[in-house]
Amino acid sequence: MIILLRDVTEWVWLVPLLPLLAALVTGGRVLLGRGSGDAAEPLTERLAELAALASLLLLLLIDLSVWWHGWPGHRVFVTWFAAAHWQGNISFLLDALSLPVATLTALIGWLVVRFSAAYLHREAGFHRFFIVLSLFLAGIQGVLLAGNGLLLFLGWEMCGVASFLLIGYAWQRPRATGNALFAFVTNRAGDAGLLFSLGLAGFWVGSFEWPALFDAQLPLVDLRVLVLGFVVAALAKSAQLPFTPWIARALEGPTPSSAIFYGAVLVHAGVFLLLRLEPLLRHLPDVMAGLLLIGALTAAYTWLCGLVQTDVKSALIFATVFQVGLMFVAIGLGWTTLATIHLCLHAAWRTWQFLLAPSWLVLTRDRPAPPPRWLAANQWLYTAALQRFWLDKLGLALLAAPTEAIARDVRALEESFIDRAIGEPGRGHAVQPDRPLVQADGLAGRLLAGVSDLLQRIENRLLLRGRGGVAERLLREAGRWLQTLEELLEQPRYLMMAVMATFVVIL
Amino acid sequence: MQASENLPLRQRLLQWIEHLTHVLPAQAPIRDFVHHNTLHGFQHLPFAEALAAAQRLTGARPWWPASRFLEEWAAGRIERADVLAAFDDVGLTGLDDEIAGGVVRRDVLLAALLAGDEVPVTARRRWLAGEGTGTDLGIFARCCQLTATTKENAPDDWQQLAHQRWGALCQEVGAGRTLRNVLAHLSGEDVLETVRSILQRHLAAHLDLGMAAWRNPVQGRGFYAAWKACAGLDLAWELDELPGVRDEIHHLADDPVVVLETELRTLLPDESLWPAYLESLALELPGWSGMFLWRDRHPAVADGVPVDMLDYLAVRAFLERHLCSELIRRLTGAPLGFDELRAYYQANPAEFLVRDSLHSGGLPEDLQAAAAGLCAATLDGHEVRGWAVLAPKLAAQAQADDALTQAWRLARLVTQLGWGEAALAALDGDTLAHLLAAAELTSLQRSQIWLAAYEGHYREQLFVALSCNAQRRQQWPAPSAQVVMCMDDREEGTRRHLEEIAPDIETFGAAGFFGVPMYWQGIDEAAPVALCPVVVTPTNLVRELPAAGSESAQAQHMRRRETRLRWRERLYQGTRREVLGGPLLTAAAALPALATLTAATLAPAWLARAGRRWREQFDGRVASTLALTGADVENGIRAGFSDGEQVDRVASLLRSIGLTDGFAPLVLILGHGSGSRNNPHLSAYDCGACSGRHGGPNARVLAAMANRLEVRTALAGRGIVIPESCHFVAAEHHTGDDSVEWYDLAQVPAAFQSDLDRLLGRLAEACRLHAVERCRRLASAPSRPTPWQARRHVAGRVADLAQARPELGHATNAAAFIGRRTMSRGLFLDRRVFLISYDPAADASGEIVESILLAAGPVGAGIALEYYFSTVDNERFGCGSKVTHNLTGLFGVMEGAESDLRTGLPWQMVEIHEPMRLLVVVEQAPDVLSAILERQPALQELVGNGWINFASQHPSTAEISRYCPRRGWLPWAGRGVLPQVARSSDWFAGEAGALAPAILLGAVS
Repeated sequence: MIILLRDVTEWVWLVPLLPLLAALVTGGRVLLGRGSGDAAEPLTERLAELAALASLLLLLLIDLSVWWHGWPGHRVFVTWFAAAHWQGNISFLLDALSLPVATLTALIGWLVVRFSAAYLHREAGFHRFFIVLSLFLAGIQGVLLAGNGLLLFLGWEMCGVASFLLIGYAWQRPRATGNALFAFVTNRAGDAGLLFSLGLAGFWVGSFEWPALFDAQLPLVDLRVLVLGFVVAALAKSAQLPFTPWIARALEGPTPSSAIFYGAVLVHAGVFLLLRLEPLLRHLPDVMAGLLLIGALTAAYTWLCGLVQTDVKSALIFATVFQVGLMFVAIGLGWTTLATIHLCLHAAWRTWQFLLAPSWLVLTRDRPAPPPRWLAANQWLYTAALQRFWLDKLGLALLAAPTEAIARDVRALEESFIDRAIGEPGRGHAVQPDRPLVQADGLAGRLLAGVSDLLQRIENRLLLRGRGGVAERLLREAGRWLQTLEELLEQPRYLMMAVMATFVVIL
Repeated sequence: MQASENLPLRQRLLQWIEHLTHVLPAQAPIRDFVHHNTLHGFQHLPFAEALAAAQRLTGARPWWPASRFLEEWAAGRIERADVLAAFDDVGLTGLDDEIAGGVVRRDVLLAALLAGDEVPVTARRRWLAGEGTGTDLGIFARCCQLTATTKENAPDDWQQLAHQRWGALCQEVGAGRTLRNVLAHLSGEDVLETVRSILQRHLAAHLDLGMAAWRNPVQGRGFYAAWKACAGLDLAWELDELPGVRDEIHHLADDPVVVLETELRTLLPDESLWPAYLESLALELPGWSGMFLWRDRHPAVADGVPVDMLDYLAVRAFLERHLCSELIRRLTGAPLGFDELRAYYQANPAEFLVRDSLHSGGLPEDLQAAAAGLCAATLDGHEVRGWAVLAPKLAAQAQADDALTQAWRLARLVTQLGWGEAALAALDGDTLAHLLAAAELTSLQRSQIWLAAYEGHYREQLFVALSCNAQRRQQWPAPSAQVVMCMDDREEGTRRHLEEIAPDIETFGAAGFFGVPMYWQGIDEAAPVALCPVVVTPTNLVRELPAAGSESAQAQHMRRRETRLRWRERLYQGTRREVLGGPLLTAAAALPALATLTAATLAPAWLARAGRRWREQFDGRVASTLALTGADVENGIRAGFSDGEQVDRVASLLRSIGLTDGFAPLVLILGHGSGSRNNPHLSAYDCGACSGRHGGPNARVLAAMANRLEVRTALAGRGIVIPESCHFVAAEHHTGDDSVEWYDLAQVPAAFQSDLDRLLGRLAEACRLHAVERCRRLASAPSRPTPWQARRHVAGRVADLAQARPELGHATNAAAFIGRRTMSRGLFLDRRVFLISYDPAADASGEIVESILLAAGPVGAGIALEYYFSTVDNERFGCGSKVTHNLTGLFGVMEGAESDLRTGLPWQMVEIHEPMRLLVVVEQAPDVLSAILERQPALQELVGNGWINFASQHPSTAEISRYCPRRGWLPWAGRGVLPQVARSSDWFAGEAGALAPAILLGAVS
């Protein structure tokens, strides 16, 4: 039995793969038109649940094996692609950080899948929801268990897409899709950071594997640049300042999705990334100080905003990000074990609290105690907190609006110049009034019309001009020569010579 | 309103606001959800007119779409005869005139209805034609020719068309449209989104009932002052590119009326349009406006924060003016007023026509793209030419579309009539015009006919059932127990099963507060709550007290319970907002929470039971008694009931249900309530006659009254003799998990013990059978469960945190019977009928039925109509799906973190409902009922305006007549046979859909 447990680690790749398969199968069923009506629901739900449960059990077995066989550490399973000294591997890093967090996540994932089955019964988006939820579970396990940056990035992106799709779950509501886009675009900034760092890692270290990265002896300046990309990714995913607004806009999805994404799991992905990079962070006290500062600022910000929230989901999300901010503070202070424990406990509690958000009416009796008087009476701070310090409007004004303006200008450029230059089908008009059949629009069209015009001229000039022209005389002459040649070739000796010449050329 | 022109503006505004109470949703904070007619403000109008008015005003669709009715037609739930009868009901005339080719108008109208009124846009029409699904191409082509010749002359000139449409649009401003609405139509850009996001945080903060810790420092001065204080400091104006607004807010007057007047005058110089304009303005965010107005009208509800509708309207008008003028500036290049805007588009008809056509939709792709391009270019601030080129094309397109629409209609009609091309060819122009005129139905008429036919189909089934049942000679043994339940449609099932397993039990139905309106304070409750219909204000307070000798146990119980609740409060609030305590509490609670969640996922019913047991063990259990009798009056409220009042209450209930003699040994008064987890709409499942709360305490109080010797003696003096061999007991039926909680069993004398045991067992069995019946409509329930399986399923269901449908509530309710149980006993009514007991034999003058109608009529109608409207347009009248709901301020739900406040019933509650008006059948002679209707304006409104359907079954002859507001009493002469089955379960086993009535043979012994 104990021996068998040793081998169970070899199957860890199934943990992210199973939910992915569930998503694929359900997606396939929907594509084939098998996803409608009450009868189609149980299969979808059971697939997702089974995958989540299998992941959980597998992780529990691996945890159990740790008892006897110690931490499995870094395991490479397959080389995904390789070129020169670059290698993309499917590898996992199973240590004291990833295994507990992954196990907890699998448990939460399974609970949320079970919860959603009854909650979303007969919803138009039932199957879509389970596809996306399974996709997310696969992605997040990829992030947590990944043994290298590439796999982590893959999972990271899957989580991002899943999050986008579930914020826009009620796609009929413009507000929901707008917020989904907002969250997605904000997270792009973090993804850019991640990609940037991975690029540097490949360039400077020559590997994406975590152990290689941790052991690399990079100059501090390089290391700082490398880590900063990761830090930006972590800040964006965990909704730390200045990225916080996206998460408050991400609450449009069904309650269970709000619970697992923003209450419990996804919001901690950034914290996890930093915990994973702890060996690198240790060399960079200034970056840690920065994390401390940002974490503290975020905590202060979300605490103030949380005081004025009037709806349950918003109130809970600010409370959540507040404690995530504290985790950043802990990381900044170097207390990574504390941060890990806090992460796990916090995720567990928020799952419960978010899932019970509709019960707030019966769970609480009184209004929470007011803040201290000096604060309560400050009208400006109150306004700022109510408007969440205008962060999302600032984001819109500073980033989105200029981008939109540029886009409009580009569009205008396209419409006024490029489209005209290229021309559009069906818009052609006669280039020359005496030839109404030749119609053209745009530069290319005119060019073609010009070429055809030229050819037409040549044809007219050389051939159609009629008998006695230079061309006709030359052609007749050439015809006579060719006829002579043909007659000669038809004689056997010349034919043989031609065949032999061909053989010589071939050989 | 016209007479008050000379009043000062404030007075006039108050009058207008008073009027708003009729059009805005009147839903109370969600904790006190009570069913009411969604369109209560229109109840003074006839049903169809009221619905049309509401549709005009709110944009909601108060009828099922024709496609839904056609589905019912296809499913056989509406038949030909029903539709034909509905033509008469709606009042169409000339139904038997021959139109063409031996076809009478009746048939033409039927064909027109079945053809549907959907007119597909050109692209879809082409697609349909290509698919061969729409209508035969040859017929369509022929129809095109025919209509091309008969075509009405539309304005040929596009300029004229533009002027005409723009004029019509401007006319509507202040009459159902706001400037915002017109601008949204013109530009495709809706400033309402901005208005809502600006307003919503302030509104929620002001109305909040206990979510936010930090409140606006100047909140005590009212919403307008609070908003002004914040908005003056708000940097969002600059960020939204509205510079200067902040300055303006600083200089705003302190009086909202002044602001309102200034803004309205700028928006609309014509004062006579103001009331309608304010109405439209308020209706643009109906949820928030409605809640604000509700709080305005109920100042006592919150913690003294002043809520004044004038404040809200002032802010709303201010935002409307600023945001609209900003949009106009971007649209036209100058910040024009409404009159100038009108002149602007009059001078630029081409631009108007392009914008109008674009946002009206239905354009072919190339024109659409061209129009969209032009409109987008203006918002970029470019000088745009090309309007005048596009406008004539659009006008021509519109004209061509009109002609094709006519042709399409004709083709569908002809196809439906079954005419081939040959028959069509024989038609001449006149006949054609005649045919089209005969088939002409407004969309209102169509909806009315469909609804009448749909209701008619079910009504016929019920009438057949009633008349068949009346012909049966049923004999029942002398009752061993009598059970008085709530009239609730859900209890129809419980009663039926109880009678099936125990024919010697007689059941009654009464409004679930059992004639005892009171304030009630349970042993664990902090404050008294009213347990009676919402329209009644109780004058008595009954407290639950610890039984004699258990005072110390009670003190300990209170202490421990308080400790437990304080910690719970601390946990949930602390993890939300405490800086140091938050993380610590989180850490402490995380593992228990995870364990609980796992347990709740795997075994919800077990966890709920165990939780209850643990709570009880911790708190300690205290035997309780009622402070029933008392004389002290404080603030107009008597603690307890006086003896005289008790006699009155008991006598009036017994008389009303017709139980004045022949008392069985045990009389059970059975209240009801529901419970579910994680459900903000919790109280919508409770007893409607108890203001959306549990009716158990009322049952308990009534039983206690009826057991008192003093009361019995006085009752005997009034002719109601309750023998000593009769004891009253009380219990509460949990409609969610079908359990029964019994009260004061220890006080039942030993002589009744064996009877009581038997009743307990039978009621429990009936509840289990009832659970089986309920399971047939629940998709996740086991199919064909055993009674115990079913009971386990429903118990798990209400305990499940994830269950969005703990029970189905009143869904499918459709009728109410007021009469003796003999009328309906032995009929399977599918839990669709409110059953109210009433004995016509003892009520020749109709006084009793009058009071029953007055009490139960509005409650039943309120439930049925709320379900009706939430079903037909769940987006506007209902509150959409529960899954994205987000509890706001403890008073309502939003979708996600930003939306209008959603009122009405969630989709999960009405998903299987069949929207029809309540059919009330009274066992009383028509002339008695007519006299009552004449006497009672409230009933006249409900019945005369057709908000409920009304019918009578004569108590002696059992003849049925139905009341038509237009034609008076119509004797019913239908006949039919009913399927006969032994027991309910034989009829419903394996069925998941709605079931027709059936006769139960086993119910009669």
